Amino acid sequence: MSARVAVSERLCSPRSEAQAALIAVARTSTVRGPGVGLVAEDGDEAQFCSTCAFGSVCLPYGVDKAALLELHCLVEHIGPYGPGDRIFRTGDRFDAIYAVRAGTVKTCLVDDEGREQVLGFHLPGEMVGLNAIHPARYPCDAIALDTVALCRFLFPALATLATRMPGVQQQLFRLLSHDIGKASVLAGDYSADERLAAFLIDLSARTTDHGATPPSLRLSMSRSDIANYLRLAAETVSRVLRRFQDQGLVDVDGRNVAIARPAELRNVARAMLRE
Amino acid sequence: MPLTQINARAVPDGNMPLMNNTPRPVFDSEIIARYDVAGPRYTSYPAAPNFTTHFGEAEFRAVARASNEDPIPRRLSIYVHVPFCFSPCFYCGCARIITRDRGKADGYLSRLHREIELVAPLFDRDRTVVQLHLGGGTPNFLDDRQMAELVETLGQNFSLTRSTEREFGIELDPRDAGPDYVRMLGKLGFNRVSVGIQDFDPEVQAAVNRIQSVEQTRAVLDAAREHGFRSTSVDLIYGLPKQTLSSFARTLEQVIALKPDRVAAYGYAHLPERFKAQRQIDAAELPDAATRLALLGLTIQMLTSAGYCYIGMDHFALPSDELSQAQGHGTLHRNFQGYSTHAACDLIGLGMSAIGRVGNSFSQNSKDLVGYYAALDAGRLPVVRGMTLDEDDVIRADVLQRLMCNGAIDIAAFETRHRIDFAVYFASDIARLRALVADGLVLLSPQRIAVTARGRLLLRVIAMCFDAHLARARDADVRYSKAL
Repeated sequence: MSARVAVSERLCSPRSEAQAALIAVARTSTVRGPGVGLVAEDGDEAQFCSTCAFGSVCLPYGVDKAALLELHCLVEHIGPYGPGDRIFRTGDRFDAIYAVRAGTVKTCLVDDEGREQVLGFHLPGEMVGLNAIHPARYPCDAIALDTVALCRFLFPALATLATRMPGVQQQLFRLLSHDIGKASVLAGDYSADERLAAFLIDLSARTTDHGATPPSLRLSMSRSDIANYLRLAAETVSRVLRRFQDQGLVDVDGRNVAIARPAELRNVARAMLRE
Repeated sequence: MPLTQINARAVPDGNMPLMNNTPRPVFDSEIIARYDVAGPRYTSYPAAPNFTTHFGEAEFRAVARASNEDPIPRRLSIYVHVPFCFSPCFYCGCARIITRDRGKADGYLSRLHREIELVAPLFDRDRTVVQLHLGGGTPNFLDDRQMAELVETLGQNFSLTRSTEREFGIELDPRDAGPDYVRMLGKLGFNRVSVGIQDFDPEVQAAVNRIQSVEQTRAVLDAAREHGFRSTSVDLIYGLPKQTLSSFARTLEQVIALKPDRVAAYGYAHLPERFKAQRQIDAAELPDAATRLALLGLTIQMLTSAGYCYIGMDHFALPSDELSQAQGHGTLHRNFQGYSTHAACDLIGLGMSAIGRVGNSFSQNSKDLVGYYAALDAGRLPVVRGMTLDEDDVIRADVLQRLMCNGAIDIAAFETRHRIDFAVYFASDIARLRALVADGLVLLSPQRIAVTARGRLLLRVIAMCFDAHLARARDADVRYSKAL
């Protein structure tokens, strides 16, 4: 399905003929994605995007307006994708990395028999597709778990920009090492309690990073996905969560999980969080 | 008893809000008569007439699978419908088949077993069944062997809990169930029994074609207590032909002497154009509107004087019963079987005409044997209609649940839970509620909506203010029985 690239004029208002031309290119080009229109309200031109993975590049360092706009116009806002929609598939040629603006994206490996291995969940402000830089093909599927909006950074252009903007390059390296770090922790020898506690603490920390502390986490991932990611059985996920609930550590209501006693939950997870 | 005497019981603090301690409802015949309008019973919201044929097997399979994916999936509740009866009770509006041939049940059970085998794999095995309810029709139409096979098939395909929190109930017709049968049910794991009485008066019993002695009834209730059943319940119906205040007072005395833990007293709805059996009832023998109302007043007065708590709608329970306790703790729930202590389970409906509620959906099986058998013989699920609740339905269902079970809504907590501005979201509903506030049925403040003691008997009318489907269908031909 091909869709109009939704570039917000408000976010990227034409200031010069060159920029106007860029926007025109963005408008007429097509990307794979099911939706049109914007579902994320996350910033204006001056603030860039408050949820943007590269926001930290621009905001604290007072990048000059010209550079900001240059970065801005590299970005196509795409989506919304609905639950289950593929953003890219294993083997697709790598040409862009994505930043989540709204919703949650799951990345997973799918073997020949269709079995999934969940690699991660990507929340607003986080990148998807970093693991594809080498060998230039996406090594996994990226699937929207709910209504998802994304920023799409054309990679060659971003790489060029990185050579000129040290902040962008540093941020890329930071994101890459974080991605690698996450995978190795899960391979460790940890109990179900430790895994689940660390999962909730981590998710909560990542959610509160971007804006106010929510009263509860809304888990858009299914329990099979959580189980698969943590390398546990689905019923183990529920059994441990129920015990956490009985102990008063968490309060589970449907897909909403409130962490009632964060310090104690962090204590359960401490071995894993240390890594 | 004259109407005035019942009215005299209207206590002066009739406007006090409920504090979850089940105060006696105030019976105000003038107000009740004024609000005696047609409306749903709200064992579900949206009510069953809103179900459509756009919801079928594929939709049911999808919601069933999705229901496994919550971090802690809901536990399961199973309803099994046994549609057969040995003889027709003339008041009955249930989906049932009259036959004396017990062999007929074998054909039905083979399809029921097939349905169980098709439905069970849709639900993950760690989802324990904490509630099981056999209704009808007459579940004790099944003989010992058939009943044992049914429970065995359920146990092989679902994880039936063995813990003490289980609620495994069955509706019994004491005319066809002796103490031995009840003992057999106890051995199979049943721990709740609901016994149909309706009325003990011989003339009324003759008029509705249900002759049942007090002794038969007592034998079943005694056997249930002896064999470890935790809760006994009886059903009464007021508004039946030939009922008088004095005859029904005698029935109530006899019922109170039997000491059931719960009593359900339903108002008879005479809809002969819809329910064939009711055409056997002579409308001229039905009590008039004033007597009908007085019968309700009498029922409330005698049961509450005998120590029963009024739970809500048609239900009463002794203070020691779990329902009364749950209401006190604010943990009461309402479902198709009336009130329950179990937090939201996914309800699986099995058998002809059975209704299920899984995730945010309702589904109903074929209402006739032909359709039910044909689907299962072809290896399909017999789901023929239902609906998926939208966000608005879910929010309104929560309003109704709270009003019907706790008698109050904490507005701030409700707003947080559903992320809405209550006054804005329910502006037109609150406008409808104003007349009820003026009549002292409901207290309305920016913080709280609370049902008063006077409003407790009109929960259905209060609920109707929040029914968006009813508001839309007000002009359409959707018929319900009268509110009381």
